Amino acid sequence: MSQPIPWLILFLPLLSAALITLFLQRNPRISAAVSVGAVLVSFILSIGVFAQFHSGAPLDIHAQWLRVGRLNIEFGMHFDALCVLMLLVVTGVGSLIHIYSISYMKGDPAYSRFFACLSLFMFSMLGIVVSNNFFQMFIFWELVGVSSYLLVGFWYKKPKAADAAKKAFLTNRIGDFGFLTGIILVWSTVGTIAFVGIKEQLIKNPDAFDTVGTAIGLLIFCGAVGKSAQFPLHVWLPDAMEGPTPVSALIHAATMVAAGVYMLCRVFFIFNPMSLHVISWIGAITALLAALIAIQQDDIKRILAYSTLSQLGYMVMAVGIGEPPAAMYHLTTHAFFKALLFLGAGSVIHGMHDEQNIWKMGRLREKMPATFWTFLIGTLALAGLWPLSGFFSKDAILGAAYHNHRLTLFAIGIFVAFLTSFYMFRLVFVVFFGKAKSDAVHHAHESSVVMTGPLFILAIASAAGGFFGLEKYLQPQFSLQEAPGLEMTAVALGLGAFAIGLAVAALLYRNAETDPLPVKMVWFCKVARRLFYFDRFYEEVIALTQDALAQFAEGVDFMLKLFVRFLHGTTEFTGRALRLAQTGSLQTYTFFFAAGIAVVLYFMLLR
Amino acid sequence: MSPLTLIFLLPLAAALVISIIPRNYKFVIQCVALLSAFISMCAAVYVFGNYDPSSAAGAYQFVEQHPWAPNLGISYHVGVDGINLGLILMGSVVLFAATAIAWSNRTRDKQFYILLLMMGGGILGAFASLDLFFFYFFHELALVPTFIMIGMWGKGDQKNYATYQITLYLSFGALFVLIGLIGIYLQLPAGVRTFDIVELTKYFKANPMLPSAQRWIFPALLFGFGVLVSLWPFHTWAPLGYSSAPTETAMLHAGVLKKFGLYGLIRVALPLMPDAAQRWVYVLSFLCLGNILYCGLVAMRQRNLNMLVGNSSVAHMGFAFLGIASLSLIGITGTVVVMVAHGFLAALTFGLTGYLRDEAQTLEISQLGGLLSRLPFIGTVMIMAMLAGCGVPGFAGFPGEALVLFGNWDRSALVTVLAVWGALIIGGVYMLRAIRNVWHGEKEAPPLADASTLWRRTPYGLLLACLIIFGCFPRLLTDNIKLSVAPIVRAVGSDLTENAAQMRAHSQ
Repeated sequence: MSQPIPWLILFLPLLSAALITLFLQRNPRISAAVSVGAVLVSFILSIGVFAQFHSGAPLDIHAQWLRVGRLNIEFGMHFDALCVLMLLVVTGVGSLIHIYSISYMKGDPAYSRFFACLSLFMFSMLGIVVSNNFFQMFIFWELVGVSSYLLVGFWYKKPKAADAAKKAFLTNRIGDFGFLTGIILVWSTVGTIAFVGIKEQLIKNPDAFDTVGTAIGLLIFCGAVGKSAQFPLHVWLPDAMEGPTPVSALIHAATMVAAGVYMLCRVFFIFNPMSLHVISWIGAITALLAALIAIQQDDIKRILAYSTLSQLGYMVMAVGIGEPPAAMYHLTTHAFFKALLFLGAGSVIHGMHDEQNIWKMGRLREKMPATFWTFLIGTLALAGLWPLSGFFSKDAILGAAYHNHRLTLFAIGIFVAFLTSFYMFRLVFVVFFGKAKSDAVHHAHESSVVMTGPLFILAIASAAGGFFGLEKYLQPQFSLQEAPGLEMTAVALGLGAFAIGLAVAALLYRNAETDPLPVKMVWFCKVARRLFYFDRFYEEVIALTQDALAQFAEGVDFMLKLFVRFLHGTTEFTGRALRLAQTGSLQTYTFFFAAGIAVVLYFMLLR
Repeated sequence: MSPLTLIFLLPLAAALVISIIPRNYKFVIQCVALLSAFISMCAAVYVFGNYDPSSAAGAYQFVEQHPWAPNLGISYHVGVDGINLGLILMGSVVLFAATAIAWSNRTRDKQFYILLLMMGGGILGAFASLDLFFFYFFHELALVPTFIMIGMWGKGDQKNYATYQITLYLSFGALFVLIGLIGIYLQLPAGVRTFDIVELTKYFKANPMLPSAQRWIFPALLFGFGVLVSLWPFHTWAPLGYSSAPTETAMLHAGVLKKFGLYGLIRVALPLMPDAAQRWVYVLSFLCLGNILYCGLVAMRQRNLNMLVGNSSVAHMGFAFLGIASLSLIGITGTVVVMVAHGFLAALTFGLTGYLRDEAQTLEISQLGGLLSRLPFIGTVMIMAMLAGCGVPGFAGFPGEALVLFGNWDRSALVTVLAVWGALIIGGVYMLRAIRNVWHGEKEAPPLADASTLWRRTPYGLLLACLIIFGCFPRLLTDNIKLSVAPIVRAVGSDLTENAAQMRAHSQ
């Protein structure tokens, strides 16, 4: 592989972002062309890298970025099977979404800014993918946070969007707090932050982390909890749906939120059994919790957002079980079908003139056939119907749980599979079938080819993504034994869950005008609609801790200022008091002088 | 003549020239001021570019020395090493930016320019001087105009109190520093007494100062310099002072002049009094938390944008102190990077809030809102500055703060963890809240004028570019800094990180 190609893959999007920001603000067409061109070239170059890669020895390119004393930070790229796979996913799905945006964002006054931000995001995301050390990964980790902030808050005039952007950034920062602390701890323990170096040390001495192994594992995992929106930091992702839909598809479904899972796979070797155990449970809880909330959402994008959370939970669980290839497999197929679903939802929203409530839609399969069929394929893939891609990747995770005798996790996984099928078909039935539930449906129209084209390509990928043996491609890197293959129990139960979910959804929502569930399961729906009170709880906690502390600090500061004022106040007062004695009148001075002498004489002579 | 002399003498000479130009030749005055600042900046860039790290590691370059009062041991002695190299560049860029921003109508602008150039030239002189006498003298030369400028051209209804407070605080701080410096001078036996920093360092390396003397001189310097840098709990002058000061004064003081105290600690206090330094760092590291956490929390509660920025600038100083408190090569190198980065950042932020204050006539956050659509350029730059302020990579503050945090880990993990919290969370909260409340959203308000001409944009663009360049290529700074910091850390003999590494190497 020649040297300039990797640098080009990474820096072309940055160049595009800089060009647009500095020179092309008033040329929307050229901006879009530059941005789309950059990501397409990156994609083509990534294919080139993939073609030359032959699963040979990993390639490491690096330059020194900062070196002080024992701290040596490189700016480098590490290409191995994992990285190349992720490169293809990010640039491939990214290219499609860029193209889709050309039409979706048409007419927006800040068209150029949108593409500049998308390009900046691509740069940051690719930076995470190619990083060969923790510090560089943290840098790009923060930069994707910033680009996500800029894109969620793209329509910054909308108070909700501005609030969501802030919330997303700050929630992520809580995860980053653990991540950075973990990185410093790793560095202080083994003296390096390069992935290869850490791995070497751990191979040489498996106890290199000493007593802090679990702490390191959990702190590093914090980063993934924030970025991949795992419980308990999951609250930001649904709100982030305030951003434009292509952003939701690219950042909050296909790529950035998957960065946490990618990172866990990238540094899988640092986790000890204890931290893996915690990771698997956090994943399972997230999968379950999010799926339960998804059942009772009415906003088409929010349903998909909770679905994303739930699927990310699956992936994290897979890492925790000790099967990173299964996690990456699901990450890849999920990127296809979830991007497809979001873009499909975008097409629906576009066609419905910015309506997002599914209870105002209905019968759209007639008005928007292309969107309907592709959306259906995405749904089937997500719900896990054989032989679509989601079936294979989900089965890889469930099979791994079963195979490793993690039966509770396995049961949760099957139950979540049922829920997934249920809420997705609820969505499909309400939006595309039944009666038209508002007038807007009659004015709905199919989207342009620029938008449906990417839908078709993604639909093909979602359908066929299971046949490439991605898992086997990654296996050697993690030096695991051959995958167990299809676990028949898992397959049977998984397909059963799919069928039951579909059946129940059909029964309840085939012709529903309003949601029948809140009447039947009053308490559950109330809790689910209030998101299990997490957002409320956090607001209260923040008010009770951080804000109260801030108020206290401000109070102390006030006292401090008062004290200072008192200090020079008294000085000034003394000064003023003394000034009274200095009248400038000779008589007074003479009087004081005489009086003083009298007093002195009194003490000296009469006593 | 060394270019260093040119860098700081030119603004001072320009101040003299302006004082004899009649005040109605306003354009001439502006041009003289701007030209001198520009040439001074170019000279600083020249010095920065031609500093040669490979020749004699960490030695002073561009040295110029003339005896001045030999019987007292005072000489005119200037030179740069890695530590003040970046500071001088930063100072001259900020001076140029401030002079360019000053290009608008105000009352008595002749006097304003004179004082501004005195301030800039003075502080650059202090950074360039290698003689304690001039080091102190030039700082005072810069400090006095600050007070006058706040008093005469200050804004807001608390202007008089702010002037009063800042004058008292900083004069007290400077007084303590003076006591400390004279104390150091008197520790030398009569006959070899000198104010020359190079000589002093050499002397005290060979004959360590008596512990009894270190015991009182070090705290005098620590707290004296500390007050100048708004070390907690001596920080209350700063937010109020900056929010009342005229824009250019706030830029120069918060950006450049404030760094004098940190520079003095690194240049004078640490190498001359290593034992006392070892003893005091624990106190210092907890006081830093006062800056980072406490002032950060206070910043969250501010209702005035300038007060918020002022408190945030105080909070940033906590990281600079923390690096010093780590007494490690990584940490102190980080401190110097933070000093340079914060210089650009503080100047940029106060420049922008000044612009906003002139346009909107208020900085009360409740009265602002939705401004990004009306001030796209100023808003974008300000948002970038605020992101830089909460430690986003790509801006110069990030590598500096990261180095400080890495460097302090082996000294105290707990303090480091709390500082990380302050950097990532608290900083993020108040900055993003400010962006949300000032720039995002929508609000009815009279139209405001954005900085639309290239000329008005130049100072902001210049400062932002510096932040980004040093943020992306921190080696431009660190490669020089670390060579000059290394001897200081070695003199103190306290680098826990390097010691631990050596121990590990031994045991293997």
